[in-house]
Order: sequence, then C-alpha cells, then structure tokens
Amino acid sequence: MTPDSKPHADFRDLLEALCHVWGPSGHEDRVRALLLELIAPHVDETRVDALGNLIAVRHAAAGGAKGTGVEAPRIMVAAHMDEIGVVVTHVDQDGFLRFGPVGGILTGNLIGTRVTFEDGTVGVIGAEKRADQAKAPTLDELFIDVGADDAAAVTQRVGDMAAFHHRLDWSGGRPIAPNHDDRIGCVMLVAALRRFKPGPNTLVAVFSTQEEVGTRGAETAAYGVAPQLAIALDITGAGDTPKAPPLALKLGAGAAVKVKDGGMIASPALRRLMEERAQAAGIPYQLEVLTGGTTDARAMQTSRAGVPAGAISVPTRYGHSPSQVIDLADVQAGVDLLLALLEGDVSGLLGSGLTGSGMTGAG
Amino acid sequence: MTPTDRDRGRDLDALLEALTAVPGLSGHESDMADCLTEQLGPLVDSHWRDPMGNWLGRRAPRPAPAAGAAPAPRLLLSAHMDAIGFMVTAVEDGGFLRFTGLGGWDPRLLLAQPVTVLGARPLPGVVGSRPPHVLGPELSGKVLPPDELFIDVGLPEAEVRAAVRVGDVIAPRRPLQRLQGRRRAGRALDNRASLAALILAMDLLARREHQAEILLLATVQEEVGLRGARPGVWELVADAAVVLDVTFAVQTGVSDVPGSLGGGPLIGVGPNMHPVIERRLRQLAAAAELKHGREPLAGPSGTDAWAFQVAAAGLPTGLISVPIRYMHSPVETVDLADIERAGRLLAEFAAAFDAALVDDLVGELHGVTED
Repeated sequence: MTPDSKPHADFRDLLEALCHVWGPSGHEDRVRALLLELIAPHVDETRVDALGNLIAVRHAAAGGAKGTGVEAPRIMVAAHMDEIGVVVTHVDQDGFLRFGPVGGILTGNLIGTRVTFEDGTVGVIGAEKRADQAKAPTLDELFIDVGADDAAAVTQRVGDMAAFHHRLDWSGGRPIAPNHDDRIGCVMLVAALRRFKPGPNTLVAVFSTQEEVGTRGAETAAYGVAPQLAIALDITGAGDTPKAPPLALKLGAGAAVKVKDGGMIASPALRRLMEERAQAAGIPYQLEVLTGGTTDARAMQTSRAGVPAGAISVPTRYGHSPSQVIDLADVQAGVDLLLALLEGDVSGLLGSGLTGSGMTGAG
Repeated sequence: MTPTDRDRGRDLDALLEALTAVPGLSGHESDMADCLTEQLGPLVDSHWRDPMGNWLGRRAPRPAPAAGAAPAPRLLLSAHMDAIGFMVTAVEDGGFLRFTGLGGWDPRLLLAQPVTVLGARPLPGVVGSRPPHVLGPELSGKVLPPDELFIDVGLPEAEVRAAVRVGDVIAPRRPLQRLQGRRRAGRALDNRASLAALILAMDLLARREHQAEILLLATVQEEVGLRGARPGVWELVADAAVVLDVTFAVQTGVSDVPGSLGGGPLIGVGPNMHPVIERRLRQLAAAAELKHGREPLAGPSGTDAWAFQVAAAGLPTGLISVPIRYMHSPVETVDLADIERAGRLLAEFAAAFDAALVDDLVGELHGVTED
C-alpha cells in the first residue's frame, strides 16, 4: 500500500515534513520557514513579529459579518512551532556535556535518549552510577555523549540547544514522534488554512514561539492581533494506558474540547459552542479536564481586556517523551471541529453581556 | 413612602447567606455576576461585564460636578467573586465521579464533604472512600491520595451518565452556619465576606456626597492565579484602587498573624501597597474609631492587588483584608463586625477620595511628603 492510499494522507505528508524539522524553544526559524512555504498559497497576508511568531491572516468574506459592513470577528488560532529540548551548560575535560532543560523535560525518559544539535550532531544521554538505579535520575546525574574523546574534540558550546532526535514511525496506523507536541497542532492549522472558506469571520493563524518555556510567543502575538476569540491547537494527555491516572481521554475517540487544564479554565460559552458544532456536524469529541500543563490559550485569554479562549487538543500518550503517540482520527476530528467553528456564526459569544467596551443596564 | 431595605440597613446575615449560596466557582462566575447585579445594580449608574466575565459598575460623583469642572478623580473598588470548588474528571463504572480541585484545596479536607454536582441539574453528593477497616496499613491514618476519593450522588450509573459530564463543576454544599454571637462559618467566605463589605460600603456611600467617580470591579478567576484582574482594569482608567480580600485570623496553631476575629479589618502595608493609600486608610480608620490592624506583606500579597499594581501603566493600590479562620476550607469562619468595619472603612475612603489625594499619590514617590 502506498502512503497516498492510506487514510489521512494529507496529515501524513504534513507530519513527515514538520516532524523532521529542528526547532527547540527560541530557535523556531527552520519550522517557520517551512510553514511559510506551506501556507503561502492559502492566506491573504503574513508577518513575523519580534518574538518570531508567524502570523497569517485569512480575511472574512467581503462585506464583513452578514454583509453589515461591521468588522468581522477576528479569531486567533495558535499552534506552537517550538519543541522541548536541552541546553548545554558545561563541557567537561573528557568531552561530556552537562545540560539544562528547555521546557518540561522529564528525567525519567532521558537515559539512552538521542538528541540532535542544530548542526546535525547526534548525542546520547547517559547517566552517572546512582545509589538507587530504580529512581528517575536528576538532571545533575545526566550528561550527553557526542563521541568526543576530550573537550577539544567537542564542537558544541555552552548555550547550544538540542532537540530529541527526530524520527517518525508508524505503529498500528498511529504515528510516533518526539515532537507531536506541537507539530501536530501546526499540521492541523495548515490543514485548516487549506480548507478554510471565507465566511463571517477573519481567521488569524498564529504559529507561535516559546510555548514550552511559558507561552511566551502567544502572549505578544495576542497583544498584536487583539482577537475577539482565541483557540489553541495542542496536545493533551490520555488516560487509556495501563493504570493511567484518571483522565477521561482515549486515543481515537475524537477531538478533545478543553474545559480546564493546569493553567486556565476555558470559556464555558466557547466550550459549549464547540460542543454544539461538533454535535451538529457529527464530529466525535471528548471533554478534556487536564490537571497539569497548559497551552497558548492561557496567554491569549488574559491578553488586553481578556479574550474568550479555549482549545482543541489531540489526546496523546507519553507526552514530553521522545516517543509521543497520537491517533490521526482525532486530528481529523480536530480540524473538522475547528473549521465548523471558524466558518460559522460566533457573534453569540461576543454578545451576551460579554462585549469589550459596551455598557448595559443602568441603575 | 415604604422604607426600603437600604433605609433600614441591610440584614448582613441575609446578605452573607445569599452570597455564599451562589456557587460562583472559578471560571464559572456568571451566577455570581447575576447576584451582584441584583445587590449592587441599584447603587450604580451603569454596570456591564467584560470578555473575561468580570462584573463592572460605575457611579458618578454626587453631586454632579459643575460644567467645565476638572475631571473627577476615579477610584476603583474591587473584590474577587470566584470561589474554590471542584470539577468532574471522569465518570467511572458504578456511576462514581472522579474529580480535581478548582483552586487550591487542602487535600486533608476532601473526604466526607457534602457537595452539589452542577450537572444537567444540581445533584447532591458526598465525597466517599474506602472504610478504614479495608484501607490497609499504607493508607490507614494518612491523607488519602486523589485516586482513593470519589463522589457518590446516589444514582444508578446510567442516570449519572445522563446527568453528569466530564468538566461539570462541583460546589461544596455548606449553608452558612450561625455560630455563637456574630461569628459565622461556611464555604466561600473567601471572598464573599469581602463582597458583603463592598455592598455595605456602597450602601453607605449612596447616602453621602463623594467627589470621586466610583468604579466597581468584581473579578473572576482570582483563585486560579489572579487571572481576571489584569484584563479587568485594561479598559478602566482609574487613579487608584482598593482591593478587598480575606486574610488569616489568629487561631490555634496560627499565632504569628496580625489579624483576629472581631479585631477589625487589616490594612495591608508593603511593596504591593501604595504608601499614601495605606496611610490614608489608617488615618480614616482612626478618625472613625474603627477597630483595625496593619498587615505587613513583604512580597506578593496573593491578591488581585498584585496584578493591579503593574497593570497597564501602573495603578496605585491599597488592600483591606477581612480576617477569617480556616482559610480554603468549607468552614471558613468570620465575625460579622469585621465585615461591617471593612465596609465602613471603604466608604470613608471613597467619600474622602479627592484630587488632592491623587496628587499625593505621585508626590509621595517623588519625595514630596505630607502626613
């Protein structure tokens, strides 16, 4: 069977392209260059802001909302370009590199993991002998071996970053990659831009930087875009593995509509609208209550005077590990749901007493 | 003419009962905003909500300034309206609900709590776990981890699944208890005690003249990280703000705090608070012979004041705190007299807020002092 005859061929192609591009937080240039190429035929304008966010605008159909001439609602949809990684903090005389985290590194996943530097150098993470080998090591006990005999042979310098070694595998039809977080969000946003039909809303697609180190790119992007509604596309957890913590999310059971995560509570009105659109279009979805971690929606929600914000997430096993597993049926459902929302009327969310500057009800 | 509630003075017990009966959980505050429209609507000239769900109100100076007069000074009075609660994370076999905290709970206090699950209809429930006889030695006598706790609403699984979904919120079911004297105990006194004080202050102010335009802001999502405060003041132009929140009162095991039940509100002092506002609050409390204390806060105050101070181009901020015991438990305990004193102090400050004070806010920091 050729890849083209498999289901979700478009997502497969985009994943193949995006998962192999190097881009730890703050170093998203290569990802941005590829995305710019991918989206250029499908957007009206693009710009890159001071933090490196790629901002692409697809205008509403002429005439604004319902042909009234009123400016169409601006919906910001964010997917982050950066991936977690490590940063060199010290090179010892024997040529081993000590490192710190870039984003939420889980040390229990690291021993034996391969990492790749910007110049393509591959290193492997090793650990010192520890009293209790059963326990996860601390960062101090780990080092990177780049095959150098001594410090003079090391080409890396303090401050150089590495990402988990890029590799995309398929197992049971499911893709395994070290950076589904959040290249799969980028895949979804590109796919949505390709299919988007101008209607009542203006879509501002933002491929953001530095999400993994504290939703830093989305914060300035949201300030610049000043959206009326904001949606993040990102991964979430899954509770369908042996003895997983209670989490009502399963791979393949549909797009995850965020209710809450460790950093924000999604706008209940936006969440309800997502559910209505999913139900009306027969799109499978699940409700997400994640107790840790957050997304760009956290930063967008409190931008300026506040923005109703939510997220469409992809249930993911082994997040922040070198082998993250997702199901493309959930990706498909996420894109379908996003488009159902973007191409429909959202004015109900902007009214109901939740407008920015209007005043209602006199004493 | 029929006397109104306000002419007679509000029944503080009834007000506090009404405020604590509304769930108003973090991120889901629209019911609380409706309640404030009812309570505060008649006391303001206009009120509205912002995109975050913050409730805002505006009361023009009384009497109205003469035509051509300088713009009235603007004072923001604020308290957060959200309360901590829980959220459903999974509906499990047998119809038992797994849940997570919405805001900061003490894990020791979850077991055996009566709750209301706000599903398709409100469902009373209890937090259950295994009886001590079958817990085993590792867990016996210990704080139970979340995976040992669940909520039982007493319905068959199919009916639970029809009425409750992942993401539904859960409120502690604790009507306000009248303890002896004027002490009251219940859920959400953080921060409904402050909202009661704010309402009392507006009752008092409505009977007085005030040069300042009064802006009211009841914020959302304070308990999940001061999320509502900064957006709330984004479009407001204010010269100063006073935040009302709760703080710790002396209790068994907590002796090194300046507040005590019945000891009056605490006036915050520290880098988060503008010294001119702090000083003026103390002067006014002393002049009105109001019992009060001073609360040193050497770093972040943990209140919306922390977010206001650095919002936009900066907002000089003061903090008045109502002392309570058993913070973030379902039996938070307050003395009604402290709520009344906080309300009176806030009304005094608002009535006295004038252009000269606004000048001092800047003058003080530039070395021009006046005491």
